[in-house]
Amino acid sequence: MKIDLTILAPYVGFLAEGALLTAEVCAVALVGSVILGMLVAIARTSQLAWVRGLAFAYVDLFRNIPFLVQLFFFYYGLPEIGIYIDAFTTGVIALSISGGAYASDAIRAGILAIDNGIIEAAEVSGLPRRVIFTRIVLPIALRTSVRPLGSVLINMILTSSILSTITLNELTGNARIVTSETFRPFEVYVVLLLVYAALTYLVSIAISLLHRWLNRDMQPEVN
Amino acid sequence: MRYTEFTPFDLWLLTQGLGVTIGLFLATSLLGVLIGVVWGVIRFYRVPVLTQLITFVSEILKNSPVLVQLFLVFFGFPGLLKMNVTPVTAALITLSANTAAFVYVIAVSAIESIGRDQIEAARVFGLTRWQVLRHVIAPQAAAFSIGPLTALLVNQLQVTSLISVIGVMDLAKIGANLNLRTLKPFIVWTAVGILYYLAAKLVAMLGSALEKRLRAHSAFRGL
Repeated sequence: MKIDLTILAPYVGFLAEGALLTAEVCAVALVGSVILGMLVAIARTSQLAWVRGLAFAYVDLFRNIPFLVQLFFFYYGLPEIGIYIDAFTTGVIALSISGGAYASDAIRAGILAIDNGIIEAAEVSGLPRRVIFTRIVLPIALRTSVRPLGSVLINMILTSSILSTITLNELTGNARIVTSETFRPFEVYVVLLLVYAALTYLVSIAISLLHRWLNRDMQPEVN
Repeated sequence: MRYTEFTPFDLWLLTQGLGVTIGLFLATSLLGVLIGVVWGVIRFYRVPVLTQLITFVSEILKNSPVLVQLFLVFFGFPGLLKMNVTPVTAALITLSANTAAFVYVIAVSAIESIGRDQIEAARVFGLTRWQVLRHVIAPQAAAFSIGPLTALLVNQLQVTSLISVIGVMDLAKIGANLNLRTLKPFIVWTAVGILYYLAAKLVAMLGSALEKRLRAHSAFRGL
């Protein structure tokens, strides 16, 4: 059998639709996981031992259980307790919760890396604790953790392919449909492999640029 | 009529699934580490063309979803290569290659972590390039890479759950079957999740024990 990529030409639009859905899911899940990660990172750097323990349990659990199992837990479990939501919402929830575990680690590292002097200076200036956290600690932590958060996003893009198992027709889901129509699995999946690799490569370039831009005032002066 | 109740036999099924998961995990990890290290050695010898090819393949494998790789091997290879691919073969090929791609990166950074002065000193003493690799680099690189390697393997253990999608009767697939029969998703997926969690913890524990052992020569012994 010869490799013939032209066979895919009529399906480019269909695959692009899937890619768009992948992008949508990942964008929403990224926002969800960064918010969740921020809250959990705050909990993990808390002074209360039980809050720290609870946050650690969440991170430990969701990092050590396969995403597929988490996804099925939500997909089959939520209707059981009377919550009927579509595959898209389930996918976003599952991705956010599992991504939140990874994001919290990145943000926590950013918080722990903050110089004590900065916090002490803020305290001496008479800022209340809440303001110190939201206006000083978080912005610095988020800025330094852009790169690790970026790899969380890249992982999320790759993980989102698993959502095709719960009937969400994102990029991989649509590719499966194309395969069953063309009977050309090799061509379809090779192209898909390269598309995902290109997509994540572009995202990683964008993250590097964002990191450079956010930390522009920390760059040494170049004369 | 069908059995909707849990039976003691389900426990045996879960054990079997766990056995399949762990067996495939061990086999693919072993193969993956071997291939990855060989790739790293090829790069160490700076073999032209082959080095660039390996780097390219490893980038593609790292930056695309494992699910798509699985589909490519399981659905794509039979048509193109006129070979019969069983789900287990597809799982073995894909997971080994995927692990190898990540091990390659770890191997390269482990080899590069050893100071040039050590290698130059060894060369001056008249050691061949192989002897340098075997007696100077390998022991230190092994100790250096065991931490990242453990993290990778814990991750790869969870990735094995994806092979259930192509029909390997692993733990996730058994879970899916039990879920369909009993319609008790919370109990089934919680049990499956706990089993995966325990397996992951076991891998992490073994990894840190091995790391302690390999680092014993450079550990602080006290005064």
